[in-house]
Amino acid sequence: MYLRLLLSLVLVAVFGITALAQQTPGKTHLKVGDAAPEFNLRATDGKAYKLSDFKGKKNVVLAIYVLAFTGG
Amino acid sequence: MSVDSVPANREFAKQLGITFPILSDFKRTAVKDYGVFNEEQGFGNRATFLIDKEGIIRHIDEGNTAIDPTAIADACNVLQHKKATTP
Repeated sequence: MYLRLLLSLVLVAVFGITALAQQTPGKTHLKVGDAAPEFNLRATDGKAYKLSDFKGKKNVVLAIYVLAFTGG
Repeated sequence: MSVDSVPANREFAKQLGITFPILSDFKRTAVKDYGVFNEEQGFGNRATFLIDKEGIIRHIDEGNTAIDPTAIADACNVLQHKKATTP
């Protein structure tokens, strides 16, 4: 909740293929201080969002979630 | 962003009452670029990246650490504070 108050924008990525009781620990090659890779993706509101759209304007939180998605 | 399709995410958002947009990474390009693609299972591992206005990564939480938003919220606070003090 307070994330929303703190941030200009919250982008949440939902990865919910199936009910996931377990997950492999993340192992990104990226480090703090690295340039964030560009992305250009469609969202649930029908719009496309690019990371570069926010350059010089807003901080971005990119949250990748693994969730139990029922598909219902 | 999501490895699920836009319609699947819409349904997911509807179920949880999420009102902000969820990105769909159906082609798995972004999860690969961010190094969180789980090839064995075909989805992205849990991770949170804080990216500043200049496109630089300022904080990373991965795996179970990313479940708790405290660290990323603190990092956001720091970033906001910097913004406030830097003209």
